[in-house]
Amino acid sequence: MREAGGAAESGDRGEDRRPADEEALFSALLEDSAEELYEHAPCGYLTTLMDGQIVKVNSTLLDWLGYERGKLVGRKRFSELLTVGGRLYHETHFAPLLRMQGEISAIALELKTADGSRLPVMVTSRVKTGSDGQPLLIRTTILDARDRRAYEVELLRARQEADQERDRLKLLNSTLQKTLLPPALANVPGLDVAAYYHIASVEEVGGDFYDLFPLAAGTWGLFLGDVCGKGAAAAAVTSLARYTLRAAAVYDPDPAAVLTNLNTVLNHEYNGTDPRFCTVIFGLLTPDADRGGFRITLASGGHPPALLMRADGTADYLPTPGGQLIGVLPDADIATTTVHLAVGDTLLLHTDGLTEAHTNAGSEGRYGDDALLAFGRALAPTTASAVIGAVRDLLDTFGSGVDDDTAVLAVHVPRPTADEPR
Amino acid sequence: MIRHLTLRTRTTAKGAVIELTGELDHRTAPEVRAALPGAGLEAGQQLVLDLAGLTFCDSSGITVLLAARNHARAADASIALAAVPDHLQRIFRVVGLEHVFPTHPTAGAAEAAWQPPTS
Amino acid sequence: MDVRSRNHVTVTGRTGGPVVVLAHGFGCDQNMWRLVVPALEREFTVVLFDHVGSGNSAQSAWSRERYSSLDGYVDDVLELCREIALGPVTFVGHSVSGMMGVLAATREPEAFAGLVLLAPSPCFVDDPDTGYRGGFSAEDIDELLESLDANYLGWSGAMAPVIMGNPDRPELGAELTNSFCRTDPEIARVFARVTFLSDNRADLASVAVPTLVAQCSSDPIAPPEVGAFVHAQIPGSRLVTLNATGHCPQLSAPEETAAAITAFVGTAG
Repeated sequence: MREAGGAAESGDRGEDRRPADEEALFSALLEDSAEELYEHAPCGYLTTLMDGQIVKVNSTLLDWLGYERGKLVGRKRFSELLTVGGRLYHETHFAPLLRMQGEISAIALELKTADGSRLPVMVTSRVKTGSDGQPLLIRTTILDARDRRAYEVELLRARQEADQERDRLKLLNSTLQKTLLPPALANVPGLDVAAYYHIASVEEVGGDFYDLFPLAAGTWGLFLGDVCGKGAAAAAVTSLARYTLRAAAVYDPDPAAVLTNLNTVLNHEYNGTDPRFCTVIFGLLTPDADRGGFRITLASGGHPPALLMRADGTADYLPTPGGQLIGVLPDADIATTTVHLAVGDTLLLHTDGLTEAHTNAGSEGRYGDDALLAFGRALAPTTASAVIGAVRDLLDTFGSGVDDDTAVLAVHVPRPTADEPR
Repeated sequence: MIRHLTLRTRTTAKGAVIELTGELDHRTAPEVRAALPGAGLEAGQQLVLDLAGLTFCDSSGITVLLAARNHARAADASIALAAVPDHLQRIFRVVGLEHVFPTHPTAGAAEAAWQPPTS
Repeated sequence: MDVRSRNHVTVTGRTGGPVVVLAHGFGCDQNMWRLVVPALEREFTVVLFDHVGSGNSAQSAWSRERYSSLDGYVDDVLELCREIALGPVTFVGHSVSGMMGVLAATREPEAFAGLVLLAPSPCFVDDPDTGYRGGFSAEDIDELLESLDANYLGWSGAMAPVIMGNPDRPELGAELTNSFCRTDPEIARVFARVTFLSDNRADLASVAVPTLVAQCSSDPIAPPEVGAFVHAQIPGSRLVTLNATGHCPQLSAPEETAAAITAFVGTAG
């Protein structure tokens, strides 16, 4: 009667005192015993010894399981009611947690019923200790969790599906990215080349691109550029730009002509409410027979200038003022500059993902052109692989502060080896 | 989520002024592009982009400026930029756009400089 | 990475005493040993650690490649022995960690004064070809993975800070409630597979250090015939059957477990 009395008392304390006859009515309704409540509560009750031996079980749980009381009490342990996998879980997680904490709540398990079917339940257990603090019994409450489990299975399935979709998208993006980059850079005798592509996000394919490839009669073309925007639409422009550059260079290798032709093609394809442009540097490399090293003519269509790190330890940008971005202006101006790459010189092309990176994740400050120039001056003289390695390390220190893709391409004229005189 | 860009549009007798405050990048660019048709630009008018509060602009931002230019030209209107910040001037120099957009120190100056088409 | 932080190594007990390394099994972490440590630290230098991926180990040190077989764990154990102890140690491995001890002692016997295999099983899955009964089928292990998945959702609730119903042991504070037995679900799946699908029966015969096999009288995970098999396969090993029930005698019967370890170190060390 303790439970019933408690309920009636709390009614008494309410704002509206109920008339005496109503109170009597409630008492009559609640005329059930604690034993009655235990046996027919809307949840299963189970008491075991510390070793799991079942010593008491209520009718609700017996009904759910389809067992006679005598088949369980003194005959089975709690873990024997579980599925085999559940038993493993019980021994490796549930029992240790219960022992150490004295309590464990809302664990999802499945009970095996007498007819072999399974009942998904939520289990909460608490250790009852004696007056000396010694653990005596384990009291367990079991809730029918069929509906909830179905819902959770659905949630889990949805999560797995989402995970798979995301993995698929990442794979698709990285595959697409790879198709936009050359599998290997051409081998140019007497020149070291190195490149690196930093992917800022695997969720969206970026628009940076580069290549280095042979042209007629001992000349080589190289380019590095950046299509504005991200995702599939940008990738389509990147692809078009890449193949147009390769084809245009064969048609007329003059760097300004290559970019003018690219501008014409992109203007035809993308100019309207969603204009797509790119900035790009195209270079034509020719071995310099008289002075040694290479001559490189660079044409820039609105791209950040190349950084020349010389053998004597100095470094400077190679400005190409007046060059205009490619793809949106009908007659884009292309600016060119020609330099001699002597033995020990290194030329670095980059996209603005590097200079616009936040120097710390979450910080306002961006790396900037001046910092990159100082970086080049500190590094010179250097080599292609060394400068690319240093840029990779630099990007690593920025961490997630690099919020746009970054491409870098470096060429370096090494000291000729003895068997390869110049 | 932090709002990177605020966009305010007002209509004047001479056309429309769009004020951009904050960062114009690949996250915020679509919002500006979407706002262009709503600026209510008519033939012969001028669209002014007031960039006084622009703290950052990347290549996607440049795209939006070009989209605005295309939008104005499609409407037989003109475009001008007001209060172009230093960092954007520098980008304009790199990408070669410094002579593509007429620029003015303030939105007021841009409106004052506007001349109705002579035809 | 430094072994001590990688495996969250704790050293306690009598400085200069025989070194006893306690290795927890699948499911929880070094807190599994809390109840036996007080008895052991009177006489021994006690070394506790968390396997990589469990407890407070460095999560960044975990990789699927290294920890998809017991070998990665065995490498860790050997590194730990070299790092912590000047001489041979007594390695106490619970459940799957017993087999890590077997493999480690086979590779570097000189590092070990003795092995205590607590509730060990060299192979949980039945092998009808040889008549070996590990007690489980491969499907049962899948069912365990389902339980892990199901309770990943439940975990958030189960792991919320709760008042511990254990007033006589206030040292088992709320911090314990939140970390003990909690493992990244992805790591737990891989560790479960390593634990329950490894077959190390053939390695037992190579053990050449003194070995105690301590099994429980009623263990739903490692039944008595499995303990008898381990004992029969390891030359010169001793077998004790504890009165303890369940798979975790260090929790259900800490005094008896500590006494068995102490007695063994006395004879083996």
